[in-house]
Amino acid sequence: MRLLTHNYLQSTVKGTEKGYPLKIEATTIEYEESPFDAEFVRSLIPKIDYSTVLIGIQQISDKLEESNNIQGITIPDLPESIENEDLQEDLLKKLHTVLFDIHVVEGDLVCPDTGRRFNIKKGIPNMILHADEI
Amino acid sequence: EEVGQNDSVRPLDRVEARNFPPRWGTQKNLIGESDDDLDISTPETERNHVHAVYDAIATQWHHTRGKRGVLWPGATRFLQQLPKGSIVADVGCGDGKYFPAIWEEGSYVIGTDISEPLLQTSIGACASADPANVGPQNRQVSSSKTGLNARPAVAVADCMHIPLRSKSCDAAICIAVMHHLSTSPRRIRCLQELSRVVKKGGMINIQAWALEQEQGSRRKFAGTDVFVPFNAQPRYLDKVQTESKQSAKPDDNGCKGAAEMYSDAYDGAEYDERKGLVVFQRYCHMYKEGELENLVSKIDSLEIVDSGFE
Repeated sequence: MRLLTHNYLQSTVKGTEKGYPLKIEATTIEYEESPFDAEFVRSLIPKIDYSTVLIGIQQISDKLEESNNIQGITIPDLPESIENEDLQEDLLKKLHTVLFDIHVVEGDLVCPDTGRRFNIKKGIPNMILHADEI
Repeated sequence: EEVGQNDSVRPLDRVEARNFPPRWGTQKNLIGESDDDLDISTPETERNHVHAVYDAIATQWHHTRGKRGVLWPGATRFLQQLPKGSIVADVGCGDGKYFPAIWEEGSYVIGTDISEPLLQTSIGACASADPANVGPQNRQVSSSKTGLNARPAVAVADCMHIPLRSKSCDAAICIAVMHHLSTSPRRIRCLQELSRVVKKGGMINIQAWALEQEQGSRRKFAGTDVFVPFNAQPRYLDKVQTESKQSAKPDDNGCKGAAEMYSDAYDGAEYDERKGLVVFQRYCHMYKEGELENLVSKIDSLEIVDSGFE
């Protein structure tokens, strides 16, 4: 699961007010460089919740630090806000890395309202609810 | 479903939706389903004859539908009209066969499906675009999209509860899903969920089997709610490990246990000894003319832009 996807996921468990953003508790993180398409990144920017991106990257960073970042993944520095930022190629590249190339392969997503954990396996979050959660 | 399908990829230069629709079906009683207007919980019929079936046949499904690029009509057309940079929800995405069209159009798709095995087949599913590649064009991705193909954005989820933020998507597709929903409340709920996740003004494309087929067509369905057989080749089924798996037909020493083995491993599936195939029954509701439109019209937030039959 990449951060771009995480940006859209929410918990729908009974009792959630918002169910968003889901807290990332990663156990396995991978970095895989993918082709950079500046225009593609630029077109997605109005569609994302940037504060969620920052929160997500922080949660992943914390986990990397905990595990001594064995893979040596470098998380680019991102500005606090991109609203009035000049979207130069440099910044777009950093956004690309953060949104597309960092993957939570194993771990959990935690509902902020109910604490319900959704498991991520092989990069695929399982958001199926149990009968008593509907 | 043809008997004796092999899994080699044939180049297709036309989408032929008519090649694979069910040709027959048996009317089954569906009594015992809840009449409760608000009940959207999973009925046993769907658990056993939709969810469990796709879980079991995922690999063969992907080989015979996904890999061959057999797409429902108009889907590619719909997707090609979306503005670049669209966020698209593919609800009931299966093996992700519509993903390449969305990626190539410069948009991002998040797919959800109830079947985890089927979702797994979407990972790295497409070949790199290459003139030498004889596979279907719609199963190839250009070099800038290889990262997306290697790790498609998918989540296991029920269409009754799409795990996406409200109004977060520019568009949604829901293809070959509605005909697997066996009650009105569930069909309406699916439409409501689609409406919820798509932004105001966004487009939604929904496709499902029609009861009425073309005049002169030899396709005839036994009724509105049918079981449609899927003939699975045992070599694709991973629940049964048997020495006789390569030759599924009984030999002289008698693999008489095979029928029982498959039937046990896959609840309710039948072993066709003569053909050497495991037959699953998929529940399908065939929509009468106007029925789908009628359902959509019950939802205030949805407006029919175009509808038809292909």
